Amino acid sequence: MDESSYWNHPTSHLLGSVPAVVNEESEASYGRRGGGGRGYQTLGPPTEGFDQQSQNNWKGVFSISSYTQYFDVDTDVVVNRLISSFYPAGGDFFNKIGANPDLYGLIWITTTLVFMLAAFGNCATYLIQKRTDRTTSWSFDVGYVNAAACGIYGYSLVVPVAFYFLLRYLGSNASLVRFLCMWGYSLSIFIPTAFLLLIPVEILRWIIILIAGTASSCFVTLNLTSYIGGSNDLRMMMIAAFLLQMALAIFIKAWFFP
Amino acid sequence: MSNSHSDTIPLHPSSQSDIDEIENLINASVQSGPATVLPARPPSPPRASIPVSSSPFIQSKIPPPPPQSSSSSNHKVPSVPAAPPPPPPVGNSSSIVATGFGPPSNTLTEPVWDTVKRDLSRIVSNLKLVVFPNPYREDPGKALRDWDLWGPFFFIVFLGLTLSWSASVKKSEVFAVAFALLAAGAIILTLNVLLLGGHIIFFQSLSLLGYCLFPLDIGALICLLKDNVIIKMIVVSVTLAWSSWAAYPFMSSAVNPRRKALALYPVFLMYVSVGFLIIAID
Repeated sequence: MDESSYWNHPTSHLLGSVPAVVNEESEASYGRRGGGGRGYQTLGPPTEGFDQQSQNNWKGVFSISSYTQYFDVDTDVVVNRLISSFYPAGGDFFNKIGANPDLYGLIWITTTLVFMLAAFGNCATYLIQKRTDRTTSWSFDVGYVNAAACGIYGYSLVVPVAFYFLLRYLGSNASLVRFLCMWGYSLSIFIPTAFLLLIPVEILRWIIILIAGTASSCFVTLNLTSYIGGSNDLRMMMIAAFLLQMALAIFIKAWFFP
Repeated sequence: MSNSHSDTIPLHPSSQSDIDEIENLINASVQSGPATVLPARPPSPPRASIPVSSSPFIQSKIPPPPPQSSSSSNHKVPSVPAAPPPPPPVGNSSSIVATGFGPPSNTLTEPVWDTVKRDLSRIVSNLKLVVFPNPYREDPGKALRDWDLWGPFFFIVFLGLTLSWSASVKKSEVFAVAFALLAAGAIILTLNVLLLGGHIIFFQSLSLLGYCLFPLDIGALICLLKDNVIIKMIVVSVTLAWSSWAAYPFMSSAVNPRRKALALYPVFLMYVSVGFLIIAID
């Protein structure tokens, strides 16, 4: 009976008090110590649940099972989100994510983009040099891989985290995982762009990257606006997000496809 | 120093197994681990002049250090429960590994060549199971039950060295990128499957992804020798397809069928990027 009360209704002791995870944990731990040996043994399965709650601070970082909730997507869901990220118009990405944001998109889109930039950047550099100087031979610059990895991974991690902290500081609710998810999917439009930037005509390259950068920036800005609710003092945030995404696009063009 | 043991190997194998039996009984009775028989530890003269059975008396007073630290063989102790019982079906049992004993303690006193030969034959048999067509491929549980990490290590280092050799500039950076890409890639791919809710054993998956690099190793070697771009592209495409075909059944059976593509895409991405690296390095 003791364990059923702990397992099913841990908050029955907290009627009238402000519920918090902290209270629940301390209640459980007091109960466990009070129950003595018998309580400890019979609380076998419920202990796991409480363990996860009491360990949500730091030990959960090191076990894989605490991260599987962010990868709970199927193939068709991921493809759906990818396709919706190509259309900057609708600002409903956060509704589409719903209660199930995923980090799968972030990780593998950024990794694919790193590889594409390194590979196609080398090809495009070679093609442009070939046009101006017939005698250049192919050389593979491994530094492109390093630059791409630092640039793309750095951007996709730092910018959402910075926005999360800034928006929290300014009072609006923000969810880190959703921000990471959205920014990750916003980079997906650069993958076909990297392929198109192989065309060795300079004007065309600039047009392509400007279109892609604008699309991606609009995607980010519109979704951010619809999630937070546009109020005047948060307008600076939206403009900053737009400019940062454009800066990333320009950086991609200038560094990898000169 | 460790070879002094060879002085005491008798001509008849059965007497050696008797000596080992006595040795084990002594060790068990003195309540120290079976790893106290350390050929490298004692000064060699007593070991060379006196038969093997008396030297453990001297040694067993020393608290046994962990067996890996001073073992003369490069035998890796498997720490994952997925490892099979020690006399592997494919290993050449040397004369010392008697069938009645089983515990790996006897492998500490065997010659180095026996250990190396056993590990090499395990690599070859794993390779045959994973990379070449055989009737066991559809059942991943049976395929790599005897996994090891030496094979993947050799293949990754060989690929890095080949790429580094064929590069004309920044050789060390090329090796670093190739090695980091393959090693980190294998770990990340395994984590990806685990995060998607799949069921695999971590080191078994690392082992499998390493073995599937074998076709790309062959491709890199051929590209090192022949420098024509068209031939390189053909060779790399063929070996890429071969690697992907080798890794497919294992990866796809590890996850929920609705997430199969999510688990397979990163494998494909990694092999394509390695293939591109092979073509592009000149």
